[in-house]
Amino acid sequence: MIVIDAASPTPPYEQLRAQLAKQIQDRSLAVGTRLPTVRRLAADLGLAVNTVGRAYRELEEAGLIETRGRAGSFVTAAGDQALEQAHRAARDYATIIARSGIDPAEAIRIVQAALGHPATP
Amino acid sequence: MRQAEHSETRRWLDQHGLTDAESTPLLATRLAVRRRAKLAGDVLLAAFLIGAALTHTLSRLTDAAYSWLSLLLLTALVVGLLVAQWLLRQWVRRVDRRAGAQLPRRVAHPVGFGWSAVLGRPYAVFTVAAYTGALALAVSVLPVSDPVLRAGAAVVLIGLTGAGAGIVMQLRQVLTSPAVAEDEASLTADVIMRVEDARALVMPSLVWSLPAIFLYGESLGWWNAVAIGLVVAGVVAFGLIQTRAAAVGATARQAMIVR
Repeated sequence: MIVIDAASPTPPYEQLRAQLAKQIQDRSLAVGTRLPTVRRLAADLGLAVNTVGRAYRELEEAGLIETRGRAGSFVTAAGDQALEQAHRAARDYATIIARSGIDPAEAIRIVQAALGHPATP
Repeated sequence: MRQAEHSETRRWLDQHGLTDAESTPLLATRLAVRRRAKLAGDVLLAAFLIGAALTHTLSRLTDAAYSWLSLLLLTALVVGLLVAQWLLRQWVRRVDRRAGAQLPRRVAHPVGFGWSAVLGRPYAVFTVAAYTGALALAVSVLPVSDPVLRAGAAVVLIGLTGAGAGIVMQLRQVLTSPAVAEDEASLTADVIMRVEDARALVMPSLVWSLPAIFLYGESLGWWNAVAIGLVVAGVVAFGLIQTRAAAVGATARQAMIVR
């Protein structure tokens, strides 16, 4: 399910992009799933066509979906690959942290800062 | 929201297993317009059948053979019925769109629904079989030498072709109309309304009534027995599908799970 909240400070295209990306990465949307057309999703969510088009473009640039001409937009296998790549990078990062003796809590704060999320107390 | 509308909405939600869902003004508005459109659609169909039967009877009384004017009138009746049904559907869509535009929060499925998820294969097969049976009967009566019977068969063919086109057109509208929902419960209700709209569309009222009304000539023949046989077989098959097919609420939930 996709939820668009007009009162949210996050722009609608980003709300849509983030939710679709999450559902592709956690496999709620399986590889090969056909997404609705830009017009259809815009009508369903009460958004402008350009807003949905921008979210789709960004997902395409991230390799999470691909557009096959008039056949529509489909979920690619890149979501799985990206997740695997993230796991590999995390394992490498954990090795570096252990080798350099950095405190694990500090290591998590570094990741949070890199992701742009505020550190939790 | 009026008390009567609230009660109707509550009853509809309970009937479809949405006992936890609240009776919101959004749902009340959407259900109320569907109730009115259904009533208007039934009146339209009755008016069409009365108009077509009157034209048929008057032509038989005034002329030995069917005049081109009668066929023109019947074609106009079919076109009028189709246009009126299309306008009713547009009215429902307009009310849905207005209700959706007022929502501060919108939800939708990331994957669309196909006709088989919304209508269901048994209903689709039944509709195609019912139309094919009635059309085949009308075509097979055309070589009979009774002019009144042939004219009646022409009426059935015009009516069924028009009604078939109308069903395809309206089913497409039901499948492509935007979702109007603010949370999971109203999204489930949206799918249930879609399933109900699609099933109501394929109710073969014209398929059953047109051959039985119009395939009468100077004398009774095998065609009258087949026309009645089609109605009886159709009613039995439709009853079986309705009892054996999953309830509307279950079909809607199943469609949402596979998304």
